[in-house]
Amino acid sequence: MSALAPRWRKVVRDLSSHRFRTLLVVLSIAVGVFAITVVMGGRGILLREFEAVYAASAPATVSFTVDAADAHVVRAVERFEGVRFAEGRRTLAVRYTEGEQPETASSAGWDTLQVRAMPEFERSRMDLVTLESTGSFPPAPGELFLERSVNMVADYAVGDVVSVETPAGARVLLRVTGIVHDINAFPATFVATATGYVSMDTLRLLDQPAHFNEIHLIAEGAPTRAEASRLATAIRDDVLMARGVRVLQTSVPEPGSHFLGDIFRAVSLLLLALGVLSLALSGFLVVTTVQAIMAQQVSQVGIMKAIGGRADQVMRMYLVMVAVYGVLAVAVGLPIGAVAGHWFTGYAADLLNFRITSYAPPPYVVALGVAVGLAVPLLAAFVPVRLGTRISVVRALNATGMSGASFGHGLIDRALGLVRGLPRPVALSLRNTFLRKGRLALTLVTLTLASAVIMSVMSVQSSILATVDEVDMWDFDAQMWFAVPQGREAVERIASRVEGVVAVSGMPEYRSVFTRADGTESQPIDVIGVHPESDFVAPRISEGRWLAPGDRAAIVLNADVAKDEPELTVGSSATFNVLGEGREFEVVGVVTAGLMGPVGFAPVQHVDSITGGTGAITRLQLRATSSDPWEQARIARVVERRLEERGVPVAFAQTAADQREQVANQLGILVTFLAIMGAILAAVGVIGLTGTMTINVLESTREIGVMRAIGASHGSIYQIFVTEGVVIALIAWFFGVLASYPMSVALLDMLEGAMGLPLVFDYAWSGMGIWLAAVTAIAVLASLLPAFRASQVSVRDAIAYE
Amino acid sequence: MPNERQTGSSALVSLRDVVKVYDTGEVPFTALRHVDLDVRSGEFVGLIGKSGSGKTTLINMITGIDRPTAGEVVVGDTPVHALNENQLAMWRGRTIGVVFQFFQLLPTLTVIENVMLPMDFCAMYSPAERPERAMHLLEQVELADQAHKLPSALSGGQQQRAAIARALANDPPILAADEPTGNLDSKTADAVFHLFEELVEAHKTIIMVTHDTDLATRVRRSLVVSDGEITDETIHRPRAERTGL
Repeated sequence: MSALAPRWRKVVRDLSSHRFRTLLVVLSIAVGVFAITVVMGGRGILLREFEAVYAASAPATVSFTVDAADAHVVRAVERFEGVRFAEGRRTLAVRYTEGEQPETASSAGWDTLQVRAMPEFERSRMDLVTLESTGSFPPAPGELFLERSVNMVADYAVGDVVSVETPAGARVLLRVTGIVHDINAFPATFVATATGYVSMDTLRLLDQPAHFNEIHLIAEGAPTRAEASRLATAIRDDVLMARGVRVLQTSVPEPGSHFLGDIFRAVSLLLLALGVLSLALSGFLVVTTVQAIMAQQVSQVGIMKAIGGRADQVMRMYLVMVAVYGVLAVAVGLPIGAVAGHWFTGYAADLLNFRITSYAPPPYVVALGVAVGLAVPLLAAFVPVRLGTRISVVRALNATGMSGASFGHGLIDRALGLVRGLPRPVALSLRNTFLRKGRLALTLVTLTLASAVIMSVMSVQSSILATVDEVDMWDFDAQMWFAVPQGREAVERIASRVEGVVAVSGMPEYRSVFTRADGTESQPIDVIGVHPESDFVAPRISEGRWLAPGDRAAIVLNADVAKDEPELTVGSSATFNVLGEGREFEVVGVVTAGLMGPVGFAPVQHVDSITGGTGAITRLQLRATSSDPWEQARIARVVERRLEERGVPVAFAQTAADQREQVANQLGILVTFLAIMGAILAAVGVIGLTGTMTINVLESTREIGVMRAIGASHGSIYQIFVTEGVVIALIAWFFGVLASYPMSVALLDMLEGAMGLPLVFDYAWSGMGIWLAAVTAIAVLASLLPAFRASQVSVRDAIAYE
Repeated sequence: MPNERQTGSSALVSLRDVVKVYDTGEVPFTALRHVDLDVRSGEFVGLIGKSGSGKTTLINMITGIDRPTAGEVVVGDTPVHALNENQLAMWRGRTIGVVFQFFQLLPTLTVIENVMLPMDFCAMYSPAERPERAMHLLEQVELADQAHKLPSALSGGQQQRAAIARALANDPPILAADEPTGNLDSKTADAVFHLFEELVEAHKTIIMVTHDTDLATRVRRSLVVSDGEITDETIHRPRAERTGL
């Protein structure tokens, strides 16, 4: 210390002797560093790990669903030019439940398990799964490995026994001997279906033949989707069909694009947008704080200049002080941000069901955190420091600490002067608020931005929930699917006789693929046959029209198809391959319904006619007398039991509430992320307001002394500063409300672009009220500590304050 | 003799037709009206007058703390009115030691650090010499034993003596003091004034603002400032003559 020149000693002492101020400034900057590290770090880690884990899983380029294929066929596919590896699998859906169930117990209400079997797990070269528990590949006969996301909706551990009902109705007990992670499996939270893995030997226990019903392949090189589609078409025609293998569907996903890619892109974009906003917020916070420090230091600047200090020398002193604040803020904000980012990333990865192999934030995030902590404060401080040190000596020395001299000239001041009838302390608070207009403006910008972002976040949440309602175009209470088509009349009669059922509707549903102009095929599209006037359907049309009673080969597509297949415009004719035969349809409309996979709706009579005119159905929907989801689930179980008793096995059943929850779960990730981000921004706002109020108190020390000298009680001092804080917060809330509407629209537009799903804009009017209450509470809390400090000021010290 | 103008090539400080007008809002306020003044080297000049008479404004013109609206201020060979802020700061640090009524020591620096600060700003003396010189100055003002205390631990008189030591840090030829005793009791004020007298004997030029008429009689030359003009001037007997020494 003794080696330091006196001016640098002053910098050190100013930092150490004003500990509370230093703490506040460091916290203000650190919260920005923290927000950036959490948000951008979380985004960076998620992107890096997601890409790495997904790429490491070696996702298949093409997947065929076939009726039956053996190892020879798989080898033939592998030998085809352009194919690197090919593997055969067998996948089937079974009903399952926890524990050993009696043979006679009904399976109504059991969950669905997608069982995957392959010959050599340990030598698999694609769609790789990772064992996360004890055990080893392959599972022995009678053993089952469960995909870990099942534990987001249930609680399974190694050693548990599950009862399984095969499609043919047989009961089998399987022992869970491993928990695995499969990034290519749909997380159980999103589809209400768990995924399990068994050996080919276990298939026999499940009454399944030993041949494959899926062939997956990885192509040579890195083909585009179009190239992969052409390869798939060639294999289908030249290898599979040539060997008498019937191809039920061909799946060619966008290379490198995970099925949760839309959600992930949206999350990533949201994080980026909020990261930029956090950066702007912390910048304003720093400007406000540094300006306040310069205001406090003005007389010392005058003294230093009076005894020979040049403006540039004095300026350097304050910039170094700001740099030290920055270094301390980085030292605090970066590690805490990294820890919070670790938690946040782990939480997000769990929601999206992928593993994080390294939580190390990307180097650019660390650099960004350091830049935010050091460069932003210095840049933000430059103008206030320059202005503060350029002040003339005489003005600096004449700064008295009684800051009201400039009040009373402006329009606002005069307007406030006209406000009559307020209690004196309230009037004082109101006028104090507008005393330091520059500071007020900066504080308001910071808080307004925070308010606008938080209210926009609430609006995006409410829009997402509204979208969940919008994408649901059905009006049923429960529905179930049959593994094999069933006679409509019989099924509807059995179901409608169940007590509590008021209406039923059976409908055929078949997998199809659309053949594009270039000969390649689309992802599977479910064609559902509906009565155009059925009251089980409540379509919201985004383009064209809904089905009309006279329609025949008309089809209405949902938003997912419209997004994937731009060729399918309203008015166009398209060939859909249904049950192996090409059928011409005219696209007459597009419905907003999404997040249900690619679906097309066609007149039920037409679907019946092209599928053999049997009037068979594969799906049954029903409405119940009760609106209680628990009662609806009970009624659905009764219907399931009655159908089973009459030889109609149900493959999968769910209530409308279940379905809504699944869709909400997918979009719920965004809601959760938004809530976390909102909390971070609220913290920035709290610290910002506390800082401003504390600095106001410091600057008002002399006024406080005068007030105390003329009889102001502790309560009056509290009232003055808390009221001032609340007034600032209310003004920020008002401007925040105005800014939140366009900001909500912009955020939602971004999300729509990222997800390719039309979102319903629903401004959260209730959010205005919630945030009004919250911001008032925040203002009171943020003002309490400064008000306490104000109440502790002694008259003697206050009057002597320089 | 009102408005007596002292002229001559030996003037260390020279003000010519200096006017200062403050823009205070609706009506401009004229603080100095066409003031002419010369101060020779080694003089001890007192500026006296009522509050608001313009005496502080006048001393601020000499120190370059404030700028004239019109007229010229020349100190030594330097046209102070023509210097920019940075040139002024450097010039002031080396040429004029400023003493304020409220001492204006930097609260977070110790007494000795306050004294070393002008040397640091103006790069006077080597860093190794500075503590020694600062301590020497503190000895001069009888504060050596308080050197490592913070200003808040000192009495008002001690703080003002520390401020004088700081004003002398770069060995400036001129000391400008604005009401240096205004915030001190009479005994302490007397001690501070005695210090000024010793500095004058050591050939420093001192210009001091005071409203203390007793002290005003102890300076060599007192000027009465009223309504922005020098309205009277008195030359007092030197100290030695008064004391009969």
